[in-house]
Amino acid sequence: MNTQAKSPVSAAIAFDKKEKENSRLKSEFFRRYFRVVHILFAVLLLIQLLPDQLAAETYASYVIWFAVGVEVLTLVVSAFIKKPASLNLFVDIVAFIYGLLIAWVLATAKFNVLKAALFPPPGKVFWQFIGDYDKILTNIQSSVGIILQGYLLAIAVAIPLGLFLGWSARLGSAATYISKFLGAIPPIVYIPYGIALLPTFRSVSVFVIFLATFWPVLGGTMSGVMNVDKKTIDSAKVLNVGKFTMLFSVILPASLQQIFIGCNQGLTVSFVLLTSAEMIGAQSGLGYYIKNYSDFGDYTRTIVGLIVVGIVIVFISFIFNRIQKFLLRWKQ
Amino acid sequence: MSKIEINNLTVDYIEKKKSFTALKNVSFSIEEGEFVSIIGSSGCGKSTLLSILEGINTATEGEILINGEPITGTGPDRGVVFQHYSLFPWMTARKNVAFGIKQVNKTATRAERYQLADGFLQKVGLEQFKNKYPSQLSGGMQQRVAIARALAMDTDILLMDEPFGAIDAKNRTILQELLLELWENATPRKTVVFVTHDIDEAILLSDKIVMMTANPGRVYREIRVPFDRPRNRAELVQTKEYTKFRNELLAMFYSDIVSKIGGEEVVL
Repeated sequence: MNTQAKSPVSAAIAFDKKEKENSRLKSEFFRRYFRVVHILFAVLLLIQLLPDQLAAETYASYVIWFAVGVEVLTLVVSAFIKKPASLNLFVDIVAFIYGLLIAWVLATAKFNVLKAALFPPPGKVFWQFIGDYDKILTNIQSSVGIILQGYLLAIAVAIPLGLFLGWSARLGSAATYISKFLGAIPPIVYIPYGIALLPTFRSVSVFVIFLATFWPVLGGTMSGVMNVDKKTIDSAKVLNVGKFTMLFSVILPASLQQIFIGCNQGLTVSFVLLTSAEMIGAQSGLGYYIKNYSDFGDYTRTIVGLIVVGIVIVFISFIFNRIQKFLLRWKQ
Repeated sequence: MSKIEINNLTVDYIEKKKSFTALKNVSFSIEEGEFVSIIGSSGCGKSTLLSILEGINTATEGEILINGEPITGTGPDRGVVFQHYSLFPWMTARKNVAFGIKQVNKTATRAERYQLADGFLQKVGLEQFKNKYPSQLSGGMQQRVAIARALAMDTDILLMDEPFGAIDAKNRTILQELLLELWENATPRKTVVFVTHDIDEAILLSDKIVMMTANPGRVYREIRVPFDRPRNRAELVQTKEYTKFRNELLAMFYSDIVSKIGGEEVVL
């Protein structure tokens, strides 16, 4: 009796639940895959049907392939990303890229409202990028190699020295002033002297990047060490740590955040310096690539160079941030 | 010979060109395996006294002897638990304990240190939290880790500077009982110097209470706690003896304060 009376009700509840679950899944599906970004993708493809106004080749197929690639990536990311906020961020960036490409295609290839010599259509830039791929890779290697060498050398010297100077009360205060003075000199003004001192462009660049990184990292490390909480030092002291352990297992991690501020500053300045230096005197590197082709009026390659520099810097900053986040993961 | 002998300790600070006496002629001694609480209102120099015992500060006059030898600095015979910042925030609970072990036992391998650390974390009930960073632990849990580290270092003497002072009442009770149990069940029992301003905490834990008074900081009374061990808080607080003893202590504590503010008319 009892079960009979109950079952239709519970079945109805179960049905209701299933219905709700279905509609939830449906709306979840819509939220994931039905977005403005895909409309922009369609628009980008559709405008390719308009007739070209340019006499020269516009390489429209490269834009289409690029857009298809990005679209596939977007769909894959949409399927796998967990947090709605991250998905929104990714999709918004893609939408921005589509928007930019639409405007670019319309302004150049389709309506030709910009000066054709200065503003190549996007397809041509993609085509040039693929054509110059080897050359670009060599130039990236050259630039990044110089930066890494100067930068890592500077960090390897500045951090231990900063720890030592910051920890020694007397040397530390003098060193702070000295490093403030020497660090205030813009590293780029060392270039002429560096050229006189050192044999190759590469060694001069490494030297200048070394200086550009050395002072901020040294300063950051010293100020980090000097600002370590006395209580942290006391709790290490009562554990009877040795000098070496105190410096590298206690003081170093305790001042890590300040050290990273110096490292970050050094990295930013290093890029500015190297690309500028490459535009002045180099025979290789990304700065050279840009300067060289703009001298010949090849603005397609100039734009390729600009985009590549952007991508390289974003990529290196991304890795740097990952390392920083990992090493400071104990902070809330 | 007493385990710790404090002889005529005087500490002067110079602050803004003005000399200030934190401790004046403090003398008392602590026996091996004894649990001694130092209690007094703020500014009585109890933490200064402990910092000299720790070896972080030095006295202006007088000396402290441990096993007959004067203290010259920090030493591997003393483990310390502070009220705050005992732990290194960049190390997990387990690494914090293992790091302490490493400083006193240079021969143990990493695996042995971790194993030992895990054992002590289990004793304080934190085995599931061993891979958490201090910022991910509550204040009470952090103090448990600090206690685990001090115990794992296996020093003769344990110095505790208001270790439960910043912890909420409920957790403080739990931690007091944990400390009592760990200390009472250890053989041999460690010599503990415990700074607090909580009278109930001092009675529950100690063999002897040293009451200090301020301006300048000096010993006011030394009182032996007459209750048998092992102690049980719930039973102890119900006895008449406890209430009587506690009232006597409070009376002592306040008579000192009353005489300090200098007036019979002060009602506390």
